[in-house]
Amino acid sequence: MKKVRVGAGSASWPDCKDSAWDVAKNGDVDYLSFDHLAELTMAILERQKARDPKRGYIPDVIPLMRGLLPIWKEKDKHFRVASNGGGANPEQCAEEVLKLSQELNLGGIKIGVITGDDLPLSRIDELRAQGLKLKNMDTGEEDIDRIRDKLLATYVYIGADKIIEAYGGGANLVIGGRLADNALYCANFMHPFGWKYEDEYWDRIGAAIITGHLLECSSWSAGTCSNLWEEVPEPWHTGFPIAEMDETGEVIITKTPNSGGLVRELSLKEHLVYEVHDPHNYIMPDGIADITTIKLEQVGKDRVKISKLGDAPRGKRRPDMLKLCLAYDDGYISEYTSVIPGPNVFQKAERVKEFIHKRLEYLGLKPREVLIQLIGYDSLWGPTAGPPECEPNELGVRVAFKCNTIVEARECRVECGSLNWEASPVGTAFGNAPADRPVFALWSTLIPREAVPLNLEIKEVK
Amino acid sequence: MAKKVQLGDICWYRSGDKGDISNIGLMAKDEKAYEIIKKQVTPERVKAHFKDWVKGDVVIYPMDNLQSLEIVMYEALGGGATKTLRVDQTGKAMGNALAKMEVEVD
Repeated sequence: MKKVRVGAGSASWPDCKDSAWDVAKNGDVDYLSFDHLAELTMAILERQKARDPKRGYIPDVIPLMRGLLPIWKEKDKHFRVASNGGGANPEQCAEEVLKLSQELNLGGIKIGVITGDDLPLSRIDELRAQGLKLKNMDTGEEDIDRIRDKLLATYVYIGADKIIEAYGGGANLVIGGRLADNALYCANFMHPFGWKYEDEYWDRIGAAIITGHLLECSSWSAGTCSNLWEEVPEPWHTGFPIAEMDETGEVIITKTPNSGGLVRELSLKEHLVYEVHDPHNYIMPDGIADITTIKLEQVGKDRVKISKLGDAPRGKRRPDMLKLCLAYDDGYISEYTSVIPGPNVFQKAERVKEFIHKRLEYLGLKPREVLIQLIGYDSLWGPTAGPPECEPNELGVRVAFKCNTIVEARECRVECGSLNWEASPVGTAFGNAPADRPVFALWSTLIPREAVPLNLEIKEVK
Repeated sequence: MAKKVQLGDICWYRSGDKGDISNIGLMAKDEKAYEIIKKQVTPERVKAHFKDWVKGDVVIYPMDNLQSLEIVMYEALGGGATKTLRVDQTGKAMGNALAKMEVEVD
């Protein structure tokens, strides 16, 4: 039976380059995908592009490709690569990769460039004029006028269609913008097996989506951030997962033999429950997967088989609507941490908290929000922390402010953050504060698939 | 009287985010633990455990095939990763926080 091997290349900006190169070199893969975009990375990249039209893509793509392309040549140009590292500027990213391949004397490379996922703000007005409500899918709010003047960037999570088309056109490497993390992997199963967006394939596309979910966070399926942390071997070079799928959608998840990390039923289970929300309806642009329809079985060291549990289909028809994100400006955050030593460290920290609140009041400063947390006690635990079980040697007092302007954010930090340790008999706060930062807020909504025309161009170095 | 244990004694966990939604995957270590969490980890109890950190609804999806619960908590991250003032912007430690909740075992 025909089998396809698909490797994970990255899950963020940045990720471990050496692990991606290891998959390319030692993973015997047919396809390798790179996801670089978190929820609001596109807003940051759109801003960079607005300042400089030659920026707006993920800069790490270039050093990554510098290591990857020679391996690709060494492997007789066998594997294909999909990446969303183009961010807000896939054309420029492709140009830079083409330049690099010339520098490396790599002829015969075809790069597919996908554009159209980021919509100009004028397009949003057009769609609204046509009667599209753009209701906020998280809050139900309909009054988008409230944020219209603050909009920074709009982008649509797009599916695998254009990647498959690019592969069909002979592309070795496909670069796009807000290609959904999952779509970068779905394409790698749909293309070689010839699966179409038609009734007979939804079950197998469901299997591709579930497998894509296991690959798209790279090392997270192979023992990083794991409950097994004590026994995970050599996490400093954890192998990225590799999926070996057959044409029924049955798949074995594994990794390269000499890398760190592990692939176990539990390491995969950890990721199958991660950020999926309704497990019966894991909605992706290429289909809707049902994660309750599969079973896991350890079939060897670092090899776990995922197969169908019963007769229920693993996937359903893809949605008619795509997710559209509108990123908007929502003020500034500043923060400061001072460190207070014991004894009586909790009482001292209370005195510091009082200093912050009273000094804000005394100076007439009115941040929109203030949060004070004690590092060493409740900064990660919040109200679940419970009464302290022991007296720590020291506590960090971290205060964060949210303000409408960067001037106010800075003033709160300087006046009420960096001096607050003086309220305790001794403390320290001489380090640099993290930079005051803009807040990008997100308005998520849905847009009909046909309202997002996409473009594919194939560029070539002969 | 029934003996009490913390969820962290009988489960593994991993948590993440999507906007202002926090999601915790709670994986039972064995069949018996799964029966316990399926019965005792309810939306009401989870919401009460997190107090004012979780302002919206809590929805729990059982996954019998993985002996796990998918716990979805709305308005739970102080506005979401880029808006929140919390240290744990993406709710990665929300699973640890839930693991301290107590359940009864026979």
